Amino acid sequence: MLKVENIEKYYGSANNVTKALDRISFDVADGEFIAIMGSSGSGKTTLLNCISTIDTVSAGKILLDGVDISDLSPKELARFRRERLGFVFQDFNLLDTLTIEENIGLALSLTYTNPRSVQKQVQAMAQKLGITDILNKFPYQVSGGQKQRAACARAMVAGQSLLLADEPTGALDSKASKNLLEILTRMNRDMGGTILMVTHDAYSASYASRVLFLKDGRIFNELLRGNRERTDSYHEILNVLAMMGGDISDVI
Amino acid sequence: MTLSSLSMRNAKRQARDYLVYFVTMVMTAALMYSFNGLVFSQEMLNLGKMMEVLPMVVTIASIVVVCIIAWLVQYTTNFMLSRRSRELGTYILIGLENKQVAKMFFRENLIVGGAALIPGLLLGNLLYQGLRALVLSLFGKPFSFTLGFSPKALALTLCYFLLIYLMAQRKSRKRIRSMKIYDLIYFERKNEEAVIQKSSNRKKLSIISIVLGVIGTLLIMAGDLTLGLIGAGLIIAFLYGFFASFASSVPAYFEKHSEKKYQGQTLIVFRSLSAKLAAMGVVMATIALLFTATQISEGAGLIFRAMFESRYEQNSCFDLMISSGTPQEEAMAKGVEFAKERISEEYSREYNIYFREETQNTDVIGSYIAKKGDYYRYYKMDTLMKFSDYAALRKLLGYSEVTLEPGKYLIHCQPYIARILKDWSQTVEAGGSSLEFGGIYTERFAQYLWCVNGHGYILIVPDEIAEASVFSHRVYAAKTPEPMDGFYGELKEQISAVLRAKDYEDHNVDLFLYSRAEDEKETASEIATIVFPLYYLALALTMTAATILTIQQLSEADRYRRQFNLLQKLGMDREDMEKALRKQFAFFYTLPALPSLLISIPFLLNMCGAADSGSLVGASHPLILLGITFALFFFIYAIYIFMAYSTMKRNVLP
Repeated sequence: MLKVENIEKYYGSANNVTKALDRISFDVADGEFIAIMGSSGSGKTTLLNCISTIDTVSAGKILLDGVDISDLSPKELARFRRERLGFVFQDFNLLDTLTIEENIGLALSLTYTNPRSVQKQVQAMAQKLGITDILNKFPYQVSGGQKQRAACARAMVAGQSLLLADEPTGALDSKASKNLLEILTRMNRDMGGTILMVTHDAYSASYASRVLFLKDGRIFNELLRGNRERTDSYHEILNVLAMMGGDISDVI
Repeated sequence: MTLSSLSMRNAKRQARDYLVYFVTMVMTAALMYSFNGLVFSQEMLNLGKMMEVLPMVVTIASIVVVCIIAWLVQYTTNFMLSRRSRELGTYILIGLENKQVAKMFFRENLIVGGAALIPGLLLGNLLYQGLRALVLSLFGKPFSFTLGFSPKALALTLCYFLLIYLMAQRKSRKRIRSMKIYDLIYFERKNEEAVIQKSSNRKKLSIISIVLGVIGTLLIMAGDLTLGLIGAGLIIAFLYGFFASFASSVPAYFEKHSEKKYQGQTLIVFRSLSAKLAAMGVVMATIALLFTATQISEGAGLIFRAMFESRYEQNSCFDLMISSGTPQEEAMAKGVEFAKERISEEYSREYNIYFREETQNTDVIGSYIAKKGDYYRYYKMDTLMKFSDYAALRKLLGYSEVTLEPGKYLIHCQPYIARILKDWSQTVEAGGSSLEFGGIYTERFAQYLWCVNGHGYILIVPDEIAEASVFSHRVYAAKTPEPMDGFYGELKEQISAVLRAKDYEDHNVDLFLYSRAEDEKETASEIATIVFPLYYLALALTMTAATILTIQQLSEADRYRRQFNLLQKLGMDREDMEKALRKQFAFFYTLPALPSLLISIPFLLNMCGAADSGSLVGASHPLILLGITFALFFFIYAIYIFMAYSTMKRNVLP
């Protein structure tokens, strides 16, 4: 579904260039749940921004279903985002003047869905994520976990196929985090959503089927969960992280 | 860094962040200075007797302006306080006392005010020259540009400004002094909360307020002072009730019609709007009130001006008129004798006006006009003029020659009466004969207000018919080729001498005296003393209201920026974002203007209706006056909207 080929990203002026992404390549298959891990400054958010078309790459290609997104006009990009991508951010990014229902319905109104069917679709999605009782409330009236579930609902309600999550558990307590990760797993498993999640939290990453480790803008390691238990995967992730702690990237 | 330098730096930031507010303060200073210049100008006071009231009128207007601007400053500083609570909290956190912070904040505001004063005074000086030129041209006096500061006007402007800041700072000072660090640092923005929660109450309130608004408008239109005051009270109640219920009606409406909110940009536009209105319903109502006052001041100014000018124009065809209903009035005889010594016979005419008297129908034309249109029957009988006098007067006034066939009569009337009489063709009885209708003429003929040549109309009949009719009054009318300076004063003195000798009281004398030069002065004085202060008020009111709206809108920049950033990520087209922003602006700025239009339009139309018939015609037609009023209002308003929109578009759209 998604093909990232040798992408590079530089920041800064001619005399002071920072290389945020350094020849990164990987594929994402339909229905995968991928976590991208790395410490702060490793380039994981830059990578996510490039894939989400909010930022552009300096070199390389990003292909989605065979289409190079750098070939698209701004109008096509906007359309691409609203129809294909769903976003979940660390700080929820819900509009505080809209109710939860309206925040979710917003994604549908952007795709020019028939206004009459919006409420039904929102209800159906809310049911799946267990937030029907807060639909009429405003974001400030509900908990962080509920807000994030609403964001998940918004990310998938319009039939988007790729969900991009940037530290989705970053602002949640451990119970709400666990709850959200289970919901993400369900969205991946039961609703067929492909998920690309950026995180620096090993526990979150352990829910993914594949984990990419990023360090200094390069892919440092890759871990496949296969049929292993989540707890095993968790320990393995921790091992990789421990290894990454030293300056091993120079050796590789 | 000392506290004063911190104040200075904050003041600079304030002027930059709240540029619209700063510009309004500059304009206020300019307006105040220019009008104060008029108050202290000896040149202005010397223009006419009526100009003596100008200082008083301007001072009253200035006091109103001071109050309004004080409200603006108070509102803006309070608003800044809320926005900057974290910063102020930090000052207290690092060990400053509340008192010191309050002082710092006051100093900061005073610096902004002071900084606005300097360009304001310079601009005010230019504006004063403009005002001077306007007033002088009204009086037909030459204008020469002279630069120079009036220290008195400067001092008064400073006083007003100090007063504004002292009045405005009282509240914010108290607020800072009682603030706690926790409240300041953790001051978080609240979300939408309906002012009135229960929908039945909301509905009731909106219905009641609309009913009050309609009754209020009707009462104001009734034209009675007491009823008008009650009406004004009701309208104020309507505005506050309307905005309090409107903010909660929007979400309530969408609860019922959920499919509507998901159309296009509706959701974004209306939710932002209702959140804003819920937070500032009272302010919105106050702004609507200010707009109403603006439009009424502006419209009243225009109507008054049109009335004054029309009155002058309709009467000013002659330079001098003396008239009396007593045939042998000595004072008139003396006046005419004095005038004849100075004005040659070819420029004047002495003649009589007669009544067409019958036992039955007395003013057959007057009652016809009154029935068909708006006309007050001043004379209860039709007035007549000899054709020979009419022909001579036409020649004197430079009008085309006319003829009168035997057995016919002409009508000379005001243009609006000619329109009423368009189907007129009746034969009239006068002086024992029957006369057929021979035509209508409508040049200016001193037929308005003092009714020298008939009230609105006069019948021109063959000389012998007039002579056989009843005498009404005698007139001496003159039109001189050149203005006669000082003549009128001397004439009045001569007449007064006669009256003094006869021990008459002025009002007991049957004598009418008209001088075009005096009338021109009086009209100019009326415009300067009534119309200009009204414009002054209107300008200050519009600027205050538009500034508050703009500050409110710009203060939302951060929230809008976050909103549009998110919408961009979610895939909204840029065009759609621009559309949403435009709609948000359109609704936000239309809302307070709309109810004000609904009130001021009927009010002003009613006011036009109170003017004398035939006085508001042509370019002074009520609809044209209203058009100019609203064009002026929306022009100034549009400047603010444009300023806000362009800043906003630049800052918030990704």
